[in-house]
Amino acid sequence: MMLEKLKQTFTVTEVKEQKKNLTFFTVPKEQMEMMLITLRDHHDYKHLSFIVGIDMIEDGVFKLTYMLYNYETNHSFGIHCNIDREKAEMDSFHHLWEQVGTYQRELREMLGINFEGSPRLEENLSLDEGWDGPPPMRRDFDTKEYSNNTYFQREGRVNYDPREYMREQLYPTFPKTESDKLLNGGGKK
Amino acid sequence: MKLKDVISPFYVWKRAFEKPYTNTNPLETRDGSANYRGFHANDIEMCIGCGTCEAVCQNAAIDMVPVEGVDTTMSDSGLRPKIDYGRCCWCALCVDVCTTASLRLTNEYTWFSSDKDEDFRFIPGIDKKSWDDNELGYRRHEGLELLDYKRQAMDHIPFEDSTKSFIEMFHGYSAKQAKLEAERCVDCGLCIAKCPAHMDIPEYIKAIRDGDFELGAKILYATNPMPATCGRICTHLCETVCSIGVQGDPVAIRWLKRYIIDQIEPGDLKDALGEIFPDNGKKVAIIGAGPGGLSAAYYLRQLGYSTTIYEGREAAGGMIRYGVPEYRMPYDQIDKETNYLKECGVEFKFNTYVGRDIQLENLMDDYDAVYFSVGLTIPYGLGIEGEEHPRVLSGLQVLDDATERVEENPNIGKSVAVIGGGNVAMDCCRVSKRYDADVHLYYRRRISEMPADSDEIHESQGEGVVFHTQAIPVRVEPADNPNQVKLVWGEAEMVTPKDGGRPRPVLQEDKIHTDTFDCIIKAIGQEGNYEFFTGEYKEKLETKWGKIIHNEYMQTSIPKLFVGGDIANPQADAISAIADGHLAAKGIDLFLLHPDDKQMKK
Repeated sequence: MMLEKLKQTFTVTEVKEQKKNLTFFTVPKEQMEMMLITLRDHHDYKHLSFIVGIDMIEDGVFKLTYMLYNYETNHSFGIHCNIDREKAEMDSFHHLWEQVGTYQRELREMLGINFEGSPRLEENLSLDEGWDGPPPMRRDFDTKEYSNNTYFQREGRVNYDPREYMREQLYPTFPKTESDKLLNGGGKK
Repeated sequence: MKLKDVISPFYVWKRAFEKPYTNTNPLETRDGSANYRGFHANDIEMCIGCGTCEAVCQNAAIDMVPVEGVDTTMSDSGLRPKIDYGRCCWCALCVDVCTTASLRLTNEYTWFSSDKDEDFRFIPGIDKKSWDDNELGYRRHEGLELLDYKRQAMDHIPFEDSTKSFIEMFHGYSAKQAKLEAERCVDCGLCIAKCPAHMDIPEYIKAIRDGDFELGAKILYATNPMPATCGRICTHLCETVCSIGVQGDPVAIRWLKRYIIDQIEPGDLKDALGEIFPDNGKKVAIIGAGPGGLSAAYYLRQLGYSTTIYEGREAAGGMIRYGVPEYRMPYDQIDKETNYLKECGVEFKFNTYVGRDIQLENLMDDYDAVYFSVGLTIPYGLGIEGEEHPRVLSGLQVLDDATERVEENPNIGKSVAVIGGGNVAMDCCRVSKRYDADVHLYYRRRISEMPADSDEIHESQGEGVVFHTQAIPVRVEPADNPNQVKLVWGEAEMVTPKDGGRPRPVLQEDKIHTDTFDCIIKAIGQEGNYEFFTGEYKEKLETKWGKIIHNEYMQTSIPKLFVGGDIANPQADAISAIADGHLAAKGIDLFLLHPDDKQMKK
């Protein structure tokens, strides 16, 4: 019933009752602040459990989830909000709950989402000082490329390609195939 | 300068006489939790050195290195992962992707060394560590698999309909199936060594993932000019060593090969491959247009030789055409490959049987080199009393008749006994079913010991062939009806010889049966026919147990003469013959145009 009432004021979509005491739904970005205030102040969802973000790269969005908890009824709402991946910005809600600032710092650090006005937003929680790479939890972050460009290889490392090694060990005289040429000297390594 | 700046160095000295804050070993630590991601452990016996851990590592922390005590075999590269703990970030992707589940993480996370030069790179399982036997730590969670263990099923005509015609039974993969199947490959390349022709399997599978069939066809032809054939009837030894096959179904390499070449229309091969053939002025005669001869001709053309194939029959393909039935190997596919060879400039002389229509001596005199790959064509006898009965037929002859006159029953009647357990026997069974016969198969040993492909055995059973295993033919007797014949056979017991070794079937004299059939088809193997060798060539040609002796480039005891195919290799399958042809082309080139070469007799 509460959802029905909320629907009169908000654009509530994709309602999913995950289990008895957990319901998910989605609201547009611009309605999020009012939704959180309404649930906190009029429906006793006083506790913000956490905020998470997922990179839905195929849909071109970051899906943020705000989890609110009602101590009286032992029920949680997970409120989804999709924000444009290209313009990764979201309103800051640090004025509603103090801990929100920390979650927003993490989302800025790991996904590169900007929360205008959020305190100490630019301070990293876990990445090195001087981290100059893109936000590492974005799914287009190429870990291997970053690590190859950033960290030096130690001396004396040798790596063998199984297929070449087996050729040398097992059939060195067989005519070498032309496929190396076909693949422009490509191949695995 | 401030006073503090002057004093502070002395302030530090004060600490020199206090107990240090840093701990020396042993550190007092808590055990890692049961699922902790600590140092690696690797079961060296299980690991096959596929290098998938190395490929997936996002920090380039893993090297594949040779280790003492692990040999390189057909199913094991002999390499093992060495981990640089200066780079490892403990993400455990290497564990999640491990094809054998040999790699895991232990819950040990401390390591102590007072040697500043120690390099902190270990080979788990080889470099002995205190945590090697630590059972706790991260292992792949069941149900959370990165690898896809289930093969895309190949659609086929159901068994109840397949025996009604000679239409190709397997439909081939759809684009979607092929892509999904190609995505199962981890690109390790263990299969390349096992393939007798050493086809670059991971690269052509990658071409499917990329949708580039022209590149795929080029990769196929780099090692195999009969991909449409091998994509259907290859013995696919590669699949027996596929790393995905350790824990699941091996990648359907054979069907993927067929998929690539099926995407190229017969007339488009020339454009797709875009090959230009040089001319070096030398000419080579090839005897036999089976896979061995066709392969040699193609690779010789690539090297610039003019090649002429002498074939006794009226079409190319050899045993692929006259031995393998059409429901497995449609003739238009053989034509597609042969026609491309004609476009490459290979000359065919059909209906020209060497030893009858032309003599070996003439070829030896007229050409710079001669390659022969004439196959095994004389069926073995059963070695039992009465087998000269006219209703005892040769399996090869039955298959040949079914090729030449498919619409006519090859004189087998309606009830057939097939004797043997190889692919020829299976083909005879299934061909007989297609002529509406009731088919019984008799084999001396157990099904697991049959030399036939397991697919063939499965499909024969599916089509309703009755299998009698541990069944030894005792003698053949005439039946009352002259168009019938009696097979007397006995049940056998498998006895392991006292000195160990393979169990042998031993006839039980008290369990003898007699069954009557319209014919008995013998399919227990065949041998080579070398009658066309006469005079000095007959004297000089060296053979061993019926096969021609040759060096590693297929040169026989007669320097100008090269050999390949079933008469030269123990596998006696199409892909081995193709590999022989490729090797012989290289050998002939070394023999004729590389005077400094030491490997060839000149």
